[in-house]
Amino acid sequence: MTHVADSSPVLRRPAGPESLAPREPRYGFEGRMMTPGLILLAALSIVPFFALIAMSFSRVRLLGGVRLDAVGLANWVRFLTDADMWMSWLRTVVYFVLTVGLEMVLGVGIALCLYRVLRGRNILLSLLLLPMFAAPVIVGLLGRYLTDSTFGLYAWVLRSLGYTGDILGSPTSAFAAVVLMDVWEWTPLIALITLAGLSSVPQSVREAAAVDGAPAWMTFRYIIFPAISNVLLVALLIRSMDAIRYFDIIWVTTNGGPADATKIVPIRLYETAFRFFDFGYAAAIGLAMLAFSIFIARTFVRLLDTRGLTR
Amino acid sequence: MSTSMTPPSSAHQRTTADQAVRGNGRAVTAAPPGVPQSPLEASSKRSRWTVAILLAVAMLWTLIPLVWMLLSSFKNRSDVTAATPQVLFAPTLDNYRNLFSGPNNLGPYIWHSVLAAGISALLALFLGALAGYGLARTRMRGKKHLAFWIISTRMAPIAAIVVPLFLIFRGLGLIDSIPGLVLAYLTFNLPFAIWLMSAFFAEVPPSLEESALVAGCTRWQAFRTVILPLTKSGLVTTFVLCLVFAWNDYAFAVVFSGPNSQTLPIAASQLVTQTGIDWGQLTAIGTIVVVPMMLAGLAVRRWLVTGLTLGAVTGE
Repeated sequence: MTHVADSSPVLRRPAGPESLAPREPRYGFEGRMMTPGLILLAALSIVPFFALIAMSFSRVRLLGGVRLDAVGLANWVRFLTDADMWMSWLRTVVYFVLTVGLEMVLGVGIALCLYRVLRGRNILLSLLLLPMFAAPVIVGLLGRYLTDSTFGLYAWVLRSLGYTGDILGSPTSAFAAVVLMDVWEWTPLIALITLAGLSSVPQSVREAAAVDGAPAWMTFRYIIFPAISNVLLVALLIRSMDAIRYFDIIWVTTNGGPADATKIVPIRLYETAFRFFDFGYAAAIGLAMLAFSIFIARTFVRLLDTRGLTR
Repeated sequence: MSTSMTPPSSAHQRTTADQAVRGNGRAVTAAPPGVPQSPLEASSKRSRWTVAILLAVAMLWTLIPLVWMLLSSFKNRSDVTAATPQVLFAPTLDNYRNLFSGPNNLGPYIWHSVLAAGISALLALFLGALAGYGLARTRMRGKKHLAFWIISTRMAPIAAIVVPLFLIFRGLGLIDSIPGLVLAYLTFNLPFAIWLMSAFFAEVPPSLEESALVAGCTRWQAFRTVILPLTKSGLVTTFVLCLVFAWNDYAFAVVFSGPNSQTLPIAASQLVTQTGIDWGQLTAIGTIVVVPMMLAGLAVRRWLVTGLTLGAVTGE
């Protein structure tokens, strides 16, 4: 982006797009190129956004044509006073912190290990990346198969270790199971991004630290970590935005149960809208979720701007 | 190199990173004779084992579920639900055969998936390449706000988009139709394609277009004949990732699709019934859904980091 280029001498290009500009009117060729895509995007994002706001202040009737009856702040008052809703938010935060936290730690660990492998790193990485491409629904259903108390492979392993409970049947183990399924699918993404960051740490610096007798964790803490912190932040933000986008795994494994133990906010929203057909209240929940994701997006863009990660 | 700035510098840094890796290979494996063992080497023997064990655990954790799914899809009914997991069994194609015969044939589901995911990925790529080029080269004021709007559209939670879109689609008669699904998938694929293609275009030095302009090309010809061929890998990566996102979608399809438009993930979830689950068929569908996307994803592995971080980090 141009303002980064303005502030940093390193990025200044002698033959930038500037020299193309004088021949063109201000919104000339670039504007025409952007128009079709942006019009469609506006139709697909701004229209639903305003619809969402309108719905959150209304009661939505579906029978005999869609009709919105204004109800003022009723949905929002309900949103703020609904104790179940607060529990869902709390659960969402716990789910979010556990999944993203575990994925970051394990992903960085795997990347550090992979980085020390010199021969066969590519094939190892390719195999490790596979879960990322699996449809979350399939991951959830496969998880259900593996944890089935009578014939599941993982349930069988746990049984021989002495655990006999129904994994998806009791609240704590069900919560742990859906967290681990998400971790299984998305840890590779963190490993992939971190590995790209590690390749940027000059080898001479690492060797110098080792020669000076620095223990491995100190090398990581003071040499490697500062060098890859930007990349880790990108990984964290990318994962954070997807963590609240996808809820398919929970949807097909426990569907919020048992006893609401895995009912995170998006699951509750779907239930509110498509089981109880309370679209007004669902819209209020949706707007609150949107606020969170816009916050993530802002942080992401600001990070790209200030740390010069952007082009 | 991790952080992409100007194209020449990032290309240069990438090669130095490669050299650094190779340099490490030499330092560890072949120290010149006579030089006393460095602390690095002494510790590396011990830690090499640690690394190997940790990686083996990671590989098992990653691959066992996938291998188990593949194996189970070739098992007969009693092997699939045996109380003791069966590793050795007589393989059968029954599960796949059953999926493609009978009243609930998988064929239409595959067709719907291919259509919805394919068309939305192609449209996203086409519009995204145009708009991404515009975004990368424009100097308009408010470009920052435009970019922010695009990225926040991509990050918006599906649950929040589905609710208003459902009412709008109902009004327009787009429920249970392929165009409806295509539009729904464009809500995340289009901003993704615009943002990512703009990252790829930004890596191409503008001086190339200038020489084309000097040679008498129009801006469109310069874009079409000079810039597009240079971003071929970017185009392929964008297409593949859009395809994967749309193919794997469940949250939109479960709301918007009906008998005329149900996709593969829906077919998989429909096997879960009150009376029980045919796990043999389910693992077979799982294999059919997962394998093509894994192959497509690995085909663009070199650009995956760039693609999945929306251009913020460049790999290898």
